[in-house]
Amino acid sequence: MYDTPTLERSVDNNTVKFSARDVHVFYGETEAIKGVDVDILDNTVTAFIGPSGCGKSTFLRCLNRMNDTIDICRVTGKITLDGADIYDKRIDPVQLRAKVGMVFQKPNPFPKSIYDNVAYGPRIHGLARSKADLDVIVEKSLRRAALWDEAKDRLQEPGTGLSGGQQQRLCIARAVATAPEVLLMDEPCSALDPIATAQVEELIDELRQEYSVVIVTHSMQQAARVSQKTAFFHLGDLVEFGDTAQIFTNPRDSRTESYITGRIG
Amino acid sequence: MTDLSAQETPFAGAGSDLVKRRNRKQVVLQGLGLAAISFAALMLFILIASLVVTGYKAFVQTHITIEVYVDPAEVSVEKLPRGGFREVLLASLQEEFPDVEGRAELRRLQNVFSNGAQFQLRDMVAADHSLIGQTVTLRVPVSDPFDQLAKGLVKRETPEQLRRVNDREIAWFDALDAAGKISQPINWGLITNADSRFPELAGLKGALVGSFWALLVCFLISFPLGIGAAIYLEEFAPRNRWSDLIEVNINNLAAVPSVVFGLLALAVFIGWLGMPRSAPIVGGMTLALMTMPTIIIATRAALKAVPPSIREAALGVGASRHQVVFGHVLPLAMPGILTGTIIGLAQALGETAPLLLIGMNAFITSAPSSPFDSATALPTQIFIWADSPERGFVSRTSAAILVLLTFLITMNAVAIYLRSKFERKW
Repeated sequence: MYDTPTLERSVDNNTVKFSARDVHVFYGETEAIKGVDVDILDNTVTAFIGPSGCGKSTFLRCLNRMNDTIDICRVTGKITLDGADIYDKRIDPVQLRAKVGMVFQKPNPFPKSIYDNVAYGPRIHGLARSKADLDVIVEKSLRRAALWDEAKDRLQEPGTGLSGGQQQRLCIARAVATAPEVLLMDEPCSALDPIATAQVEELIDELRQEYSVVIVTHSMQQAARVSQKTAFFHLGDLVEFGDTAQIFTNPRDSRTESYITGRIG
Repeated sequence: MTDLSAQETPFAGAGSDLVKRRNRKQVVLQGLGLAAISFAALMLFILIASLVVTGYKAFVQTHITIEVYVDPAEVSVEKLPRGGFREVLLASLQEEFPDVEGRAELRRLQNVFSNGAQFQLRDMVAADHSLIGQTVTLRVPVSDPFDQLAKGLVKRETPEQLRRVNDREIAWFDALDAAGKISQPINWGLITNADSRFPELAGLKGALVGSFWALLVCFLISFPLGIGAAIYLEEFAPRNRWSDLIEVNINNLAAVPSVVFGLLALAVFIGWLGMPRSAPIVGGMTLALMTMPTIIIATRAALKAVPPSIREAALGVGASRHQVVFGHVLPLAMPGILTGTIIGLAQALGETAPLLLIGMNAFITSAPSSPFDSATALPTQIFIWADSPERGFVSRTSAAILVLLTFLITMNAVAIYLRSKFERKW
């Protein structure tokens, strides 16, 4: 059924990166997330799956406090990154977002050159002391996003001139340029064609070597292909969380089974 | 084939009545739209055409070229800038018409020249003293009645007692014309002269400079304040009752009649703060009050039009809120902001009522050298000229309106150019 044998891939690191306990999210009066407990491991791809409106994107955006920008959004419970509470008053969400990079559903490069797109994060966080430093960071990031060979001769051209798949890889390069520890991806392939999707998926697997990756996806095949851990959300509840292989072959909850066999969603 | 159409086409039948009615409605609607646009275009054409027809004659000015002997008996270096320049000029005409005698007749002859002719000669002599005692060739404007005569606006068929020039004067003019001394060059004076009581000398320089200073002051105040207010309201202000109240009031402010702003300026700027009357600085401040809501509304619309994905992208790499706004959103919104600003300034350029209230319709015969000097502005100058009884001001009023319209069209063209050049597609 799936093109990658999921059972062969196992989790090889057990360090907990993110830990969420009893997280509730409210939009005004509506409760979008109803008490989620989850541990996200380092060097692991964790997939969030579930039908539309189940809260998986909302929960993802709690992890780098992107929900702060929405006035009516309120988060309760505790989320820690490396043991530190990210909703602590002393935590600067801006610093947090440099540590927890994010890639969005629709490729959204800045209307600037490819170089400036990647260099923007390091610049505002003061990661490069000189132009040469910055050049190194840009090259490294583009290589990591598997875009260097296509982009090295056109670094000064606008990032918006790239193809959709290239733009998304540029966004990944931009996210890794600030040296994050976690990469959050919100349906990164939903606007891409199958070839570009395959490239990005391959890339996600490579990124696992250095980062903890959390990916929200609508495609169960994609979850099965790229992730080691899978969390199934339904109507704001985390229904089931476990090894991807187990979720897809031997779900414990009947709702999970219904979803992956296509009966709900 | 024929069989099929002869029977019944699959789409006709029960619905065909409905379809016919729908098509008819569409035709009627299109026709109405076309008629509305044609009507608007016709009105615009009539407006411009009537302005051009009355105004084009003001773009040339009848001049007389004459040899003037600068008589040392009348003009001397010691007495400058005083001197008998009028007499010198008259003497040169008397040479042409030796048979003219009597004080009244001589005054009539004198009046062929514009009143400004003597000053033109005076300035020439003052600049070059060696001209005294020599004969100089002078080209000076003729006075308004003769200008009107040359342009055919004073009709020769009109009975003499109803005409502004009598038969004798017409004879002089025709003689001068026959001698090749009358010419009609382009009327640069319309741009380079300030206002004057004499239509043949009146120009728009004072109004242009006054409008320039007023617009500059208006821009310097309303642009930064308007953008600042818009950024705060759009990006940083909490959404609550107060911000709603402010928003409603800004929209109301944009709809307040301009004369009210004039009253406010009269009371506050001139009354309380004791700022100078008729000064472009006060005019600019008044116009800024009116332009600011326009700029705020345009800026907020431009900021809103920046796609949220750009904000998310910047926030996602750890940009702070002000870095997002000033590094990404504002540059992307700039073309829209500039367009709104230019349109706001174009509105301000054409605004008349508030300037009347702060006295920018004064009669001022020199261009202001700073925003604190008394001045007029283009629309108020038009107002003054339209109010003047001399025939020459009729065509000048139209010409001034054409000048104002040229500026407005230019500003709007710049706005359109900016918009199309920097328009981004996401």
